[in-house]
Amino acid sequence: MQADSDPVTSGMIRRLLRLVLGSKGYDLPFKSDTDRNFLLLLVALMSFLAVLACAGTLTLHAMTQRWSSGLENKITIEVKAETPNGEILSPESVKLDTEKIAGMLEGNLAIKSYQVMNEVEIKKLVSPWIGEDFSFDEIPMPGLIAVELSAATPETLETLTQKVLSVAPSARIETHREWLQDILRFVKTLQGLAFLVAMIVVVTTITAISSGVRSRMAIYRNQVEILHLIGAPDPYIARQFQWHAVIVSLLGSVIGTAAGLAVATLIFHLSGKDETALIPEIGLNYGQIAAFIILPLLACLISGTTARFTVLRTLSQMP
Amino acid sequence: MIRFDKVGFRYDSGPDVLNDIDFELKAGSYHFLTGPSGAGKTSLLSLMYLGHRPTRGNLFMFNQNVGTLPRERLYEIRQKIGIVFQDFRLLGHLSAFDNVALPLRILKRPEKEIRNNVTELLDWVGLGDSKDKLPPTLSGGQQQRIAIARAVITRPKLLLADEPTGNLDDAIGFRLMNLFEQLNRMGTTIVIATHNTHIMEKYGHPRMILAHGNLTLDEHRNKAEETAQGPLTANIKTGTLKHAS
Ligand SMILES: Nc1ncnc2c1ncn2[C@@H]1O[C@H](COP(=O)(O)OP(=O)(O)O)[C@@H](O)[C@H]1O
Ligand SMILES: [Mg+2]
Repeated sequence: MQADSDPVTSGMIRRLLRLVLGSKGYDLPFKSDTDRNFLLLLVALMSFLAVLACAGTLTLHAMTQRWSSGLENKITIEVKAETPNGEILSPESVKLDTEKIAGMLEGNLAIKSYQVMNEVEIKKLVSPWIGEDFSFDEIPMPGLIAVELSAATPETLETLTQKVLSVAPSARIETHREWLQDILRFVKTLQGLAFLVAMIVVVTTITAISSGVRSRMAIYRNQVEILHLIGAPDPYIARQFQWHAVIVSLLGSVIGTAAGLAVATLIFHLSGKDETALIPEIGLNYGQIAAFIILPLLACLISGTTARFTVLRTLSQMP
Repeated sequence: MIRFDKVGFRYDSGPDVLNDIDFELKAGSYHFLTGPSGAGKTSLLSLMYLGHRPTRGNLFMFNQNVGTLPRERLYEIRQKIGIVFQDFRLLGHLSAFDNVALPLRILKRPEKEIRNNVTELLDWVGLGDSKDKLPPTLSGGQQQRIAIARAVITRPKLLLADEPTGNLDDAIGFRLMNLFEQLNRMGTTIVIATHNTHIMEKYGHPRMILAHGNLTLDEHRNKAEETAQGPLTANIKTGTLKHAS
């Protein structure tokens, strides 16, 4: 009975409303208002953004978890093959110093495990930088010990450094702390940004829904007033707008969430190609993908509550 | 049932439309509300159906002070009132049937009961064939009958009708007036705004006359008229809804 420019969505919204409010539970006209399509698009877009923000946050979280637990307690002790004033030390002296340090580490409670790297391992470690067929006889080999601490507190590190230096003055302790801290700080910033995006999404949605509802109420002012005067309690009237908003948001959000998940999966798939030790494999597992069902539900909750609240507040201006 | 206690009313910052209105209507009474156009009949009715609040004074509906009742409970009073608006105020996108069914749906009556009652009433007001039509496609008289059917479908305790016979030819007009008589006999309190002297004289109920924002009750004159119209009154008392058709 109403000319409708968008019969597919309208038909679906109408059917869903009938389902929720009963076959005759919806008393407002069903015109194709552009404002409903705008709302649908907006909620879809907001859900899309929310998915990307959440997927990003989840991935970053997983990455930092791994980095922190994997690297935070690890240090490397290097026994240099030359003194600060350019004097080359003999391989024997390097080896001796390395063994002395290893002996000192043995039985130390702060040390969880350590491993003295042999020549082959060191070669494997440095070959990416200097080439496979480089003759190692030409450069002096340092001694390397990979150490895992029980807990990398500053105090432990301090005492350890002193002890190591007292045994071998040419040794140097490398923690991964500094650059790890930088990365963690950067990741925190990214997560804060994602949270900000999520907040903007929520606030935008609430604002758009409430202004959409207000304009719908203005369009249907006459109908609303009739319902009011013939005895419809406020919640009866609110329900009409509320379910309309919920259903429009549900459709928009399902579309937006699906699109967001598709794009996120694609991005992870593409970036997963050059996986390295530092960037652990990223992506969403099925459980996480399933958890995104919460998003449309959340969108419905937000829009339903906003619509209800807006209608009740507008109605309270009526006598 | 209804008590106006020095009620004054004006629209926003406009001039006073009603001054110190003071009257009381007993349950089961039947009054005509008359007066020239612009006298404030519609405004007075709208105070009764809580479309507006009095600017001054106290208004008691069903023995409750409307001014002190919390807003969330006013709908309980509205649900006891049937209103026939002067301009009908039907929902243009709903069929005649759904318009009449609306008050019952608001009361959450079972759909089966709604179907039976609404169909019966629409048949009775002569709109049985038009029940699926939209009000804008119907004539003024037909729309008015839908409006009346919507007002009485819940058997309200109070019926307020604003010039309900304005668009009806006499046969249907009298038929609906007889419906009001019957509702009144079953206990509905009725106030009908009209300046149709023909109808007022025929039915002879007491008149409330509005002029310049002041109300006077004219019970006495109408008592006399009622006796003068003995045969008709008797006819109404014994008659059924059919007799005017
Ligand atoms: N919504 C309104 N806003 C402002 N003034 C109004 C409104 N409705 C009616 N009036 C004014 O109130 C007075 C009474 O009108 P009304 O109650 O409609 O009289 P009646 O029904 O007896 O013709 C008129 O002067 C009219 O112009
Ligand atoms: Mg009027």
